[in-house]
Amino acid sequence: MIGVTTRPSRTGLLAAVLALAQTVLGVAAGRAEDRPPFVFTGIPDQDESRLVERFGRVATYLEAKLGVPVRYIPVKNYPAAVTAFTNGQVQLAWFGGFTGVQARKAVPGAHAIAQGAEDASFKTYLIANARSGLTPSKDFPQAVAGKTFTFGARASTSGRLMPEHFIRQAFPGKTPEQVFSRVGFSGDHSRTIQLVVSGAFEVGAVDYTVWDLDTKAGKLDPSVVKVIWESPPYPDYQWTVRGDVEATYGAGFTERLRAALVGIEDPAILEPFGRSKFVPVTDAAYDPLIAVAKSTGLLD
Amino acid sequence: MAAPALTLSNASAAYGGRTVLAGIDLTIRAGERVALLGRSGAGKSTLLGLLHAQAPERIALVPQSAALVRTLSVFHNVYMGRLDRRSTLHNLRTLVRPASADWREVGGVLARVGLAEAIRTRAGALSGGQQQRVSVARALYNRGPILIADEPVSALDRVQGAGILAEMARTHETLVLALHDVALALAATDRIVVLDAGRIVLDAPARDLDAARLSPYYAGTA
Amino acid sequence: MSGPGRLAPHGPSAGYSAVSRWFAALALAALLAADLHVSSLQPWAELRRLLAGFVRADFPSVEAWSIVHTVAFAVLGVGIGAGAGFGLAIPFAHSRAVRGLCAALRSVHELFWALLLMQVFGLSATTGILALALPYAGICAKVYSEIIEEADLAALRVLPPGTGAVSAFAYARLPDVADKLRHYTLYRLECGLRATLVLGFIGLPTMGFHLESAFRQGRYGEAGALLLVFYVLIGTRRLWLRPLTLPFLAVASLLALPATVGSTAIGASLARFLEHDIVPAPLRGAALSDPDTWAQFGAWLRPILTDQVGPGILQTLMLAQVALVATALGSLVLFPLVSRRFAGRIGQPLGRVLLVTVRSTPEYMLAYVALLLLGPSMLPAILALSIHNAGIVGYLMGRHADDLPYRPDAPRGLNLYAYETVPRLYGQFLAYLLYRWEIILRESAILGMLGVATLGFHIDAAISELRLDVAVILIAATAAMTMAVDALSRALRRTLRIADLPTRLSRPLAPRTGA
Repeated sequence: MIGVTTRPSRTGLLAAVLALAQTVLGVAAGRAEDRPPFVFTGIPDQDESRLVERFGRVATYLEAKLGVPVRYIPVKNYPAAVTAFTNGQVQLAWFGGFTGVQARKAVPGAHAIAQGAEDASFKTYLIANARSGLTPSKDFPQAVAGKTFTFGARASTSGRLMPEHFIRQAFPGKTPEQVFSRVGFSGDHSRTIQLVVSGAFEVGAVDYTVWDLDTKAGKLDPSVVKVIWESPPYPDYQWTVRGDVEATYGAGFTERLRAALVGIEDPAILEPFGRSKFVPVTDAAYDPLIAVAKSTGLLD
Repeated sequence: MAAPALTLSNASAAYGGRTVLAGIDLTIRAGERVALLGRSGAGKSTLLGLLHAQAPERIALVPQSAALVRTLSVFHNVYMGRLDRRSTLHNLRTLVRPASADWREVGGVLARVGLAEAIRTRAGALSGGQQQRVSVARALYNRGPILIADEPVSALDRVQGAGILAEMARTHETLVLALHDVALALAATDRIVVLDAGRIVLDAPARDLDAARLSPYYAGTA
Repeated sequence: MSGPGRLAPHGPSAGYSAVSRWFAALALAALLAADLHVSSLQPWAELRRLLAGFVRADFPSVEAWSIVHTVAFAVLGVGIGAGAGFGLAIPFAHSRAVRGLCAALRSVHELFWALLLMQVFGLSATTGILALALPYAGICAKVYSEIIEEADLAALRVLPPGTGAVSAFAYARLPDVADKLRHYTLYRLECGLRATLVLGFIGLPTMGFHLESAFRQGRYGEAGALLLVFYVLIGTRRLWLRPLTLPFLAVASLLALPATVGSTAIGASLARFLEHDIVPAPLRGAALSDPDTWAQFGAWLRPILTDQVGPGILQTLMLAQVALVATALGSLVLFPLVSRRFAGRIGQPLGRVLLVTVRSTPEYMLAYVALLLLGPSMLPAILALSIHNAGIVGYLMGRHADDLPYRPDAPRGLNLYAYETVPRLYGQFLAYLLYRWEIILRESAILGMLGVATLGFHIDAAISELRLDVAVILIAATAAMTMAVDALSRALRRTLRIADLPTRLSRPLAPRTGA
């Protein structure tokens, strides 16, 4: 056929362009440092500006402590953080309880090394718009049935997994979709608060540290939105590191990293986390979440 | 007598079940100037197609529609007449930057059809008559010893048309021309073949014929 | 144009009205079943803040590199896609395998490609470029092949026999189609620019990355500035995107690509992705000859089909149906704005600016904003899809409306509209809509990522739960549905005898009659 002879040259060109792209990318990536940078990320659980502030300071601190270049890479959603961890783009991540479980399941050799002092007994707040007529209670408020309800991100522990677990406990045999008139996923905790404040949803499940940070900053009007229920405690956020860092950065790197994290005392770093300090932790601390995730069908 | 250049014996053609040509026996000898006459629909273009298929490598063709590439310049359209005799590399180079020898030669051919100054013009920007002359120039440039042309001067006036036919005769040994202008045919060729309803109804030297003799085959056409 | 003639059962206009009625009736049924709840209590206040953001656009906050990256991703992604598409276009008409490959490539949306590629290549330039290049190769192959087939072959036939294939292609085919190919490729680049915005929404460092953050956090001044810069980028496309500048753009784009932070182990990731992640869970490491394995596979697959694929397809079709008919109505209202006959010499350019702006706004972003304003239901998705597509179809119809040869004593205003323009354009109008049906459907599936329960909603859930095997099944279902609707649309266009009417946005205006 006419023109068939042009085809190999075209694909050759394509291959050349791809090869050139790879070279340029390789050069761009390799040019910056001699040693591969140590890269970390965190689940984007709240407003990005707060995340950038928080993780930027951690990067500076770790670089000084560990003597390797440290980079933070921002991601747009929870699964993207887990994916970056599983495909090896990042070596360390600040995960929620459930995303940490997902990541460690997918990457053999990865371990939880530190959590916030508050994370051993973390809480979810159910918050409600004042117009919903819901009032605070000690026990799970059965009156939420039939209201509109928003979770946080789908893979959030405090915004999805645990509240769904408590809802299923309070309404045996029912899914959240059957309990509420409408169920949404806001994507992050800041957005959950916004949606409940605006009245788009009557009730929402939110990370208590994010709520407290917003309250302290005077962002919330108690006559518009308030906490109606505090969940029982459960384990949540943690730093999880890949097992192959020992090979890349030398034996004992994991312990040095753990020590660095636990040794953070600067309030300027801790405050944006809403944590008082970091403490050592092991994978076993999150075993209860595995059971909950299996019972709600989020984990096989 | 010269050797036969093209021969058809008992040739026929059909389109979609409808017979267009039947029982055609025709021999064109080298050096002949043949005019093919007949009403539109008589089968002239089909007959030219059959003749062309006999020896395409020796034939320079002027198709009925000018068949130009409208987005290319007049130069390139004429140059296309000889693509087969140049290397692909040279052809591609010519697309971007023509060699001056080619440019001069094509310019010379264009001068013969009165279009020397249009060499840089895009073919699509030309009038119908100009396009027809570019199409003729392409065939002249091809230099095949046999020139087959389907109504090559239909969009030109008689004086211009005669000039073009004379140019064809100057460089091409054998001519087979479908024409509709009887006077032009009688003046410019030495053999007249008339087609009617798919058959050859008259085949005679031009000097034995005149316009009156041919008029029955044109009754009903302007 | 006699009255009874229009009611004749076999005339094309009877076909037109029957198809129109069916589509409208289905859309109405879908509308009744759809969830159109507005759950935001103050949409207007939010909209006012948004518009104020445009008025007081905060240009200094725009990250300049994000503009560079946006252009770089688009130029390289579309460039590689178009190059591969050109290579595939040549065997396209003759090879069923190539046609199948291209259909599969283009039936998966850029966003889904990006989500899959990210598993292997991470958040990197490779992911961004391939996410554009793969579907665009499929689209370009199809359209290039159509353009080459449409070419005027008269010149090819008069070439001297023995002309080499390359020379023949370069002289007798390429010049005739080059203009259309160039036109289409440049139009694709505009689409590519829009697509890179959407890729930013999932983390690639384009302007979309910052747009998402700005919208999410209500920094409307920054969002407005980003969008205005983007409109200028698209509006000035003809100035900076020319065949002459293309080599420079390509090289500059390669140099300007964002450096990947960290690096993925591509080989290991690819192996894990292909051999583990996308293999259905019950089949991983199982004995494939054991009937028990397949029983488990069936038990695994059934709820996915009944709870996700089935409802997801239904919701996607419903959304697409409503959006398609809303697009139709919208474009009928909008096209006079860009027709000189209706809008006048002054109105027409203004209308054109309006519709080009609307069509330059990616529907995914429109939906995202509408969702922030109105809350999650089908309504924001319908609005986004119909606004974007009505802008496109309206713009094209307006151009056709000005090409119609009206008689000198033709009526004016609404009479002209109702008696001359719309009836004469109706076949063309249906051709555009049926063509866009597939595109709207693809977008409808995607919008699920934002919370409408279309297929994208379930895909988002599967990816969040790290169940890539389920995600791949859902993406394959989306692709199959898209291909089925594409086939249905082509069959309808053939039945209505409008299959040969132009449907591409990029086609140059009909050549002036005369020369």
